[in-house]
Amino acid sequence: MDVLIKSALVISPGSPHNGQGRDILIRDGQIESIGSALKVEGIPLLEGEQLCISPGWMDVGVQTGDPGFEHRENLHSAGQAAAAGGFTAIACQPNTAPALHSKSEVLYVLQNTRGQLVDFYPIGALTAGCAGKEITEMIDMHAAGAVAFSDGIKPLQHDGLMLRALQYVKAFGGLVANQPLGLQIGGHGQMHEGEVSTSLGLPGIPALAEELMARRDLHLLEYTESRLHLSNLSTAGAVQMVREAKKRGLNVTASVAVMNLAFDDGALSGFDSNYKLMPPLRSPEDREALRQGVLDGTIDAISANHIPLEEELKKKEFTYADFGATGLEVLYAICKTYLSDWLSDELIVEKLAIGPRRIFGLPLPSVAEGQPANLTVFAPGQLWAYSRDKVRSRSFNSPLLDKELTGRPVAVINNGQLLRA
Amino acid sequence: MATEQQLSTKHILGIKYLTEADIRLIFETARSFKEVLNRPIKKVPSLRDVTVANLFFEDSTRTRISFELAEKRLSADVVNFSASSSSVKKGETLLDTVNNILSMKVDMVVMRHPAPGAHHFLSQHIDANIINAGDGTHEHPTQALLDAFSMEEKVGGLEGKHVAIFGDILHSRVALSNIFCLRKLGAHVRVCGPPTLIPKYIDKLGVEVSHNVKDSLRWCDIANVLRIQLERQDIKYFPSLREYAQYFGISKALLDELGRPIVIMHPGPINRGVEITSDVADSEHSIILQQVENGVAIRMAALYLLAAKR
Repeated sequence: MDVLIKSALVISPGSPHNGQGRDILIRDGQIESIGSALKVEGIPLLEGEQLCISPGWMDVGVQTGDPGFEHRENLHSAGQAAAAGGFTAIACQPNTAPALHSKSEVLYVLQNTRGQLVDFYPIGALTAGCAGKEITEMIDMHAAGAVAFSDGIKPLQHDGLMLRALQYVKAFGGLVANQPLGLQIGGHGQMHEGEVSTSLGLPGIPALAEELMARRDLHLLEYTESRLHLSNLSTAGAVQMVREAKKRGLNVTASVAVMNLAFDDGALSGFDSNYKLMPPLRSPEDREALRQGVLDGTIDAISANHIPLEEELKKKEFTYADFGATGLEVLYAICKTYLSDWLSDELIVEKLAIGPRRIFGLPLPSVAEGQPANLTVFAPGQLWAYSRDKVRSRSFNSPLLDKELTGRPVAVINNGQLLRA
Repeated sequence: MATEQQLSTKHILGIKYLTEADIRLIFETARSFKEVLNRPIKKVPSLRDVTVANLFFEDSTRTRISFELAEKRLSADVVNFSASSSSVKKGETLLDTVNNILSMKVDMVVMRHPAPGAHHFLSQHIDANIINAGDGTHEHPTQALLDAFSMEEKVGGLEGKHVAIFGDILHSRVALSNIFCLRKLGAHVRVCGPPTLIPKYIDKLGVEVSHNVKDSLRWCDIANVLRIQLERQDIKYFPSLREYAQYFGISKALLDELGRPIVIMHPGPINRGVEITSDVADSEHSIILQQVENGVAIRMAALYLLAAKR
């Protein structure tokens, strides 16, 4: 795979080219040279107005649907959607059927994605079937290639089990991830508890339900001196707890779903089930706290929180509709369309390329000569419509569908392959 | 029944979506229909050639009979549907069920459904006019309209009047509609009940919150006592009916202490001896049966005004 990328702004903190407009020549999947006005005969060009280039992006938690829910997504379509969204790597959530809860399923993912442009990093289930009851063979899954352990979209309710999981992964320096939400308090809810839920007569999911569990997890982390990632924070209280925990030197990281940054619970006032998400869209104050968390480094990564669902699960009465939206393909556009007043491209690269790999302890691809090309090329100013024919995911449950958006990934390069949007 | 005025909406999904002018128009129209209902011949031809489907996905007795009577008094053709004897049990979706019925040329839909927002969902996908006859814990607009209409009959305009809503606010299908309607008509509203049955953020809707029944009775001109929704409580919100009746029920002794009459209302069905004692429900200050009577006139008005929007 050979390509010459013309005059792209390099966004790669730590690289000598950072902040410079450069031509980048890639031959056989390697970055051969970086310079100005490079001229090479007979090589495909990648050029456009105001292009940026950065290390390839990674999403920290994708529902791939495979195995078990291939009508929503499979390993191929998840890779296509990720690539279209500018990602060269994704961590796969374990909520498949069967769950990614033993070496077999971890290897299934790795073996069936070999040779794809996008690198797949399986997250092993913490408990069998993600059912929250029995701890899994985590050492074995780690040896097979699992990068972390979590029950994915199912918050682990059992205190003792969480304690033992955090202890057990220390045997191999492993990482436990949890999306905090106490179901005894929040389990019956349909949306964030507040003025909007009250006026819609919908049972609420109090911020308290997330905060109590985040508090528990941080206490357990302190006790076990292990490694913890809190996924998809949505409340001001949880952000503040992580901020303080980091200050105290605990080994904790956190992520936020881009939808929680871009929207608040007001989006639900018309009962639009496409905005029925988990974690729920919360109050404007929570949204502001999430913004601060991204700005000051409390939150390490922004996730698409990609949850593909078939139409039958969304196009129905709000109460009966499932939680979740797809997001891989529009994450960057959401950042540029709704958040560009405070979220710079430098910060986006920090939260999409650098932060995710720091969370999992993975090496960061570098924009340097002689290195394998693992790159995302994107156009911050490009206007486009996210129409149905552009969707690469197998599912269409996105509130952004048919919306006019700004900012689009143009191409991704990895594993000796190039894919243009 | 010729009126130049029209409602601002095509559906009646909730009081939230009506203007004060809409409410006034419905009241004015209902007054004319109430007069019709007291004639020897109670039927008018206003909705001849209009077909109304009453879709009840949840049980109801009085609301359903009230709507059906209103439709028949207006000479509409009426079809009834209830979830317990229908294809819903076979797994059919709401949209499919309704579209099947609409393809038989139905003009208006009156629907009760357990899910908040079900009518919104439907309104985005079908063409017929929709009247919400209750969507779970969200709204039940015609009940709130008939409540406010009955209050005005009894005490005159509601501007500045004090209305207290007692009981299970959290699970009620009428509390929110009542609050929205009374606030639009200028009344002061208070909700009173055990803290576990009052939504935490209800004060954001412009109402006072109290947990003291005696104090709230002293405060109000009108007491609207809600039913304890035992069937909707999947977990326990209070320990026993006995304790509820003793500390949150409305009894004659409590009313006698006030030294002045207040109006007593209840949307029914009553749990006698729980939220309200029989001697209060049946007292001269109770307008519970007038509420039911006015229900037909209000629903006639709603149907009539929506039909005019076709």
